[in-house]
Amino acid sequence: MSNLVDEAPGAERVALRAGGRRTVRHRMSRRGKKEAFYFWLFISPWLIGFVGFLLGPMIASVYISLTEWDSFTPPEWVGLANYRKALTQDPVFWKALGNTFYYALISVPLGLVIGVWLANLLNKRVRGRKLFRTFIYLPTLVPLVATAMVFKMVLAPSGPLNDLLGWFGIDGPAWLLDATWVKPALIVLSAWGAGAATVLLLSAMNGIPKELYEAAEIDGASAWRQFWSVTFPQITPVIFFNLIMGLIGSFQIFSQVYILTSGGPDNASQMMVPLLFREAFSFYHFGYASAIAWLLFVVIMVFTLIAFRTARKWVFYETEVR
Amino acid sequence: MVDKSRWRGRAGLAVTAMLGVAALTACGSGGSDDGTLKMVVWGSDVDKATYQARIDLFEAQNPDVKINLQLIPGDQYEQKVQTMIAGGDGPDIMQVAEGVNSYSSKSQLVPLDEFIDSSGLDMEQRFGPVGELYTYEGETYAIPDRSGAMIVYYNKDLFDAAGVEYPTAEWTQEDAQAAMEELTIPGEQWGYGGAGWWAQWWSFAYQNGGQIIDDGGRAAVDSPEVVEALQWANDLAHVHGVVPTAEEYADMGPDMGGDPAFAAGRLGMNTTGFWAIGSLIESDVNWDIAPMWQGEEQAVSAFGSGLAISRDSENPEEAFAAIEFLTDAEAQQIIIENAQDVPANLEVQQSEAFLSPEWAPEGLNMAAFGESSAFIFQAPLIPEWNEMQAAFDDNLGTFWNEGGDARTELDKVQAQLESILQ
Repeated sequence: MSNLVDEAPGAERVALRAGGRRTVRHRMSRRGKKEAFYFWLFISPWLIGFVGFLLGPMIASVYISLTEWDSFTPPEWVGLANYRKALTQDPVFWKALGNTFYYALISVPLGLVIGVWLANLLNKRVRGRKLFRTFIYLPTLVPLVATAMVFKMVLAPSGPLNDLLGWFGIDGPAWLLDATWVKPALIVLSAWGAGAATVLLLSAMNGIPKELYEAAEIDGASAWRQFWSVTFPQITPVIFFNLIMGLIGSFQIFSQVYILTSGGPDNASQMMVPLLFREAFSFYHFGYASAIAWLLFVVIMVFTLIAFRTARKWVFYETEVR
Repeated sequence: MVDKSRWRGRAGLAVTAMLGVAALTACGSGGSDDGTLKMVVWGSDVDKATYQARIDLFEAQNPDVKINLQLIPGDQYEQKVQTMIAGGDGPDIMQVAEGVNSYSSKSQLVPLDEFIDSSGLDMEQRFGPVGELYTYEGETYAIPDRSGAMIVYYNKDLFDAAGVEYPTAEWTQEDAQAAMEELTIPGEQWGYGGAGWWAQWWSFAYQNGGQIIDDGGRAAVDSPEVVEALQWANDLAHVHGVVPTAEEYADMGPDMGGDPAFAAGRLGMNTTGFWAIGSLIESDVNWDIAPMWQGEEQAVSAFGSGLAISRDSENPEEAFAAIEFLTDAEAQQIIIENAQDVPANLEVQQSEAFLSPEWAPEGLNMAAFGESSAFIFQAPLIPEWNEMQAAFDDNLGTFWNEGGDARTELDKVQAQLESILQ
């Protein structure tokens, strides 16, 4: 409603002052023309990029997914055979899909919980708060290749992580070498980057009016209650943003797998994007790889839609008075 | 007016779309038509310096031809070259190895037989049996450039300390295992670096008389000979404990394996290609090399690469003349001077320059390469090479890491290979 109230009266006022419909129309269209010109001028770099480098290739990949194409010789039309192969014949596809679900559905919520927890801690007035904030964001700045190298050492069978577990009497697994533990190992690596979400959540927390806390305190709310009734609802939009971005990002996990495990052992850490990369650039099956890409697109789309549908129930926008 | 601005909007959209398409097609048509040959290779700084030195030699004698060398990191080489060729901008000269037939089977390489005939190049005389390595369905697609057998590197100090005789080609698999056991100090030092790589355990399979792909082009990895070889290779780590397990390697450091562990002096023996020499010269290890041991028969794998001409080349005659020169004795000499690799040219391989190079430690047995060439087995360079390798990786991961039954795993590999080769 507020948007309409802002614009409409202004327009009417111009019309009244000019005193005639024709002139108004003339002036509006001239301005409109100019505006349209600048609109197209300023949007064109993006449009060219979008049409040339995104929309074009996307449409092309729909076609390619319906063909058998080795990238050298002309593509051969096969209809839906690639999709049928993925869904009914290729055990590696289902394994990779299952692994990707496993990874996304654990790493994203885990990352959010850690992010909110860290942000809440850093929001308190503690000594060296700025230093801690820097440290927590630091992992995000380290190139993934370097991180992966460090984690190869950390996750070694007799590495620091297993030493740590040893103090608690736990005999740690061989992580990256073990088919059962290789996915949890990748999730541990993803949790290391939770600092990126923390920074966004922290700024959201800083934006919460102090009066809300004062009022809650006067009503006798405990710190725990204050968190759940004031802080949490206020930061749900940022949590939601991180959820969507995290889902999309984790379904597309690639580099970690490529560097750390190459999908092994026995495809236990094979994910969708490394799989389609392997099909396209190592096996020269571009049609099949494109089909996998579109199936992944559908999966991500479904999860994003579910997230948006359920968002109404738990995401709180102050401007949306209900 | 409203309509007009809408129309403008549409026109604008159409123009931007066309611009986008134009930008895309522009990328595709850019080629080198100024007479410069584009050559792509993979490898390290040493590789680049060596190729460049050979090219400089060629350019000095052929002033009207220029070669533009591009070095692509090994792990991106296939994708980059594939993208170049798919974009109609393939290189004139390209380095090829085991994956050669993924190109030749899709007619992306120029068949070289006509050029070979008209230039009078005698493949048999220059390269020996390796000359036929890069043929597919009766046509030659690449000229061998670098070619050397896998050899046994051994740590003389460890052998002396354990009182074991140095390895020779006369050793049997049993002799090798006995030596490995003598050389092993549990948790500290191991007799051998392991055979988890295709070039290593396939050698044992061919020593047993097995084949990975049989002469009729069918998968043959479920034969008793191959099963026995794989079981032995894996038992060395998980039953006999004379090879570091995957866990023991991971504890030594990131990306640890036979080559770095041998250079660190923790292995009695390691089987790999010529390239390990570079880092060993700089290490403190007292080492030498020997030809591979044998099983029922002698067999060892070889590594190499050839030079091919892509179908996009605008001047294949000139490209072939360059390849001819680069694989001739004078240019191949540089490969050994720089300690880069084994030159494919037999004349150079048998020369004094190769047998006692300046950089080699006193008395290094360089003749091991020549000796091995008599029993190199021909690896099946099928067009689906990468898929075949993945079939092994997909099924043998846990087997290598934790030990297990070779028969069970190879039955799975066999089924997967059969569906790939259909």
